[in-house]
Amino acid sequence: MQARARWLKLGVALGALMALLCLPAGAFAHEGVWAKFNYCPSTTKGVWKCLHSETVGGEIVLGNKKSKITTPVILQGGYEEENELGESKMVAATNGETLTKVPQAVEGGLLGIVPPESSPPLVKLLSKYFFENGLTGVNATLELAKPASEIVINEFELLVGEGVALKLPVKVHLENPFLGKSCYVGSNSNPIIWNLTTGTTNPKSPNTPITGKPGFPEIKENYTLAEILDNELVENNWSAPAASGCGGILSFLVDPLLDSMAGLPSSEGHSSAVLKNTIASATVAAVNKH
Amino acid sequence: MKTRARTLVLALVALVALSGIASAAANAAVWKFNGTELTTTETAVGAAISSKLTIPGATTECEHFLYNMKIKNSSGSGKGEITELPLYECHTGSEICTVKSIAAEKLPWPTHLTTVSGKDYIVIEDVDVNIDYSGELCSLGRVKVSGSAGGVINNEEETATFNKTTLEATGTSLKVGSSSVEWTGVFPTEPFEKHREERLEG
Repeated sequence: MQARARWLKLGVALGALMALLCLPAGAFAHEGVWAKFNYCPSTTKGVWKCLHSETVGGEIVLGNKKSKITTPVILQGGYEEENELGESKMVAATNGETLTKVPQAVEGGLLGIVPPESSPPLVKLLSKYFFENGLTGVNATLELAKPASEIVINEFELLVGEGVALKLPVKVHLENPFLGKSCYVGSNSNPIIWNLTTGTTNPKSPNTPITGKPGFPEIKENYTLAEILDNELVENNWSAPAASGCGGILSFLVDPLLDSMAGLPSSEGHSSAVLKNTIASATVAAVNKH
Repeated sequence: MKTRARTLVLALVALVALSGIASAAANAAVWKFNGTELTTTETAVGAAISSKLTIPGATTECEHFLYNMKIKNSSGSGKGEITELPLYECHTGSEICTVKSIAAEKLPWPTHLTTVSGKDYIVIEDVDVNIDYSGELCSLGRVKVSGSAGGVINNEEETATFNKTTLEATGTSLKVGSSSVEWTGVFPTEPFEKHREERLEG
């Protein structure tokens, strides 16, 4: 009888250990359509809804450098109940990746040589080979420049197509063997602030107004899950500071060189961001039920 | 020979001009009371027999959907504006979401009459309805329904009916984000001032 009890205790302990090993801290294994909210801080006090926004396309023009979004970037986490202005503060994802760090190739690489759109495919291919390879190719990775709590979401404006739907403080990490590991445009103390809208922008010259798309909302899972397809957030009135930390100890030489090649710093109306997204949100209570 | 050709051209021009007038006349509809054209202004009131808004995956229905509309004829066509639109006892198609508040915003909304394929329609423009949903599990927050909507007028029953077909016929649409919203509603139209008890026709 005593031996049986001992085996039972051991079984329970092993089960608990296995459960602990299977799940990373703070993560929940939601199933099916709810799995996208696995890193939502759904049990954190004050969190109202979970957000999963996948940027599946678009482009970022920084000064005179363009980077197309070819690999999806995810903005995820939770957000608090809205204030009287309809704005909600974001709460960081439990895995620490509120904005996933995904490198995107900068067109023309370090030399910035981009063949015209009308060029024959072979010319485009050769240009890519020579100027966007491991040595001269440059990757740009978007990173958060402030804590998640400084990301502001306005879900009403998002669907109305007016005002700021998403305020995102970012910095751009430029990566290339010559640029070293700490080459950034924007920093935690001097971030690039995107006031993204699904409506029409009002930029300073030389940029002209561009219009986003609220997208197609769909309510699923018996009113508990909201998805927005074909959403497009735009912003082309932001300014970008000069590059910093490029070229390691030679940054005093490389930073100005990069700035002159990329047209940095750029004042408002010279850069743009277009983010094409698929957005999902649900209340934490709904997420926690799955 | 030359005179005959000129006559033919003139006849054709006249025909084109006449057909233009005829088609314009077919597109104009006016407000009438007992068959007589309205020459002053009138107030029409009514309450929807049923009214339902559907965005993909979610339906909102209001038991009491009242309206107050000022009407007149101007430049040979029926015009007007909706001045009040209180909405009461609204609920969704699921107990997950409740309607915390619903309100018509930016009133008055202009209206006009039009004729499409021999049928008279009332078109409401600048529609702006804000709905605030609540519920612990409810994914809907604050939502704005905006756009324009055309409803077919039934002079026999003194009603205006709005649905997918009537919105398509009038080239109108209501939207939440970029998604089309389906609106079904049957509204009795009843004069409330000088022409009370008279039959209102579009």
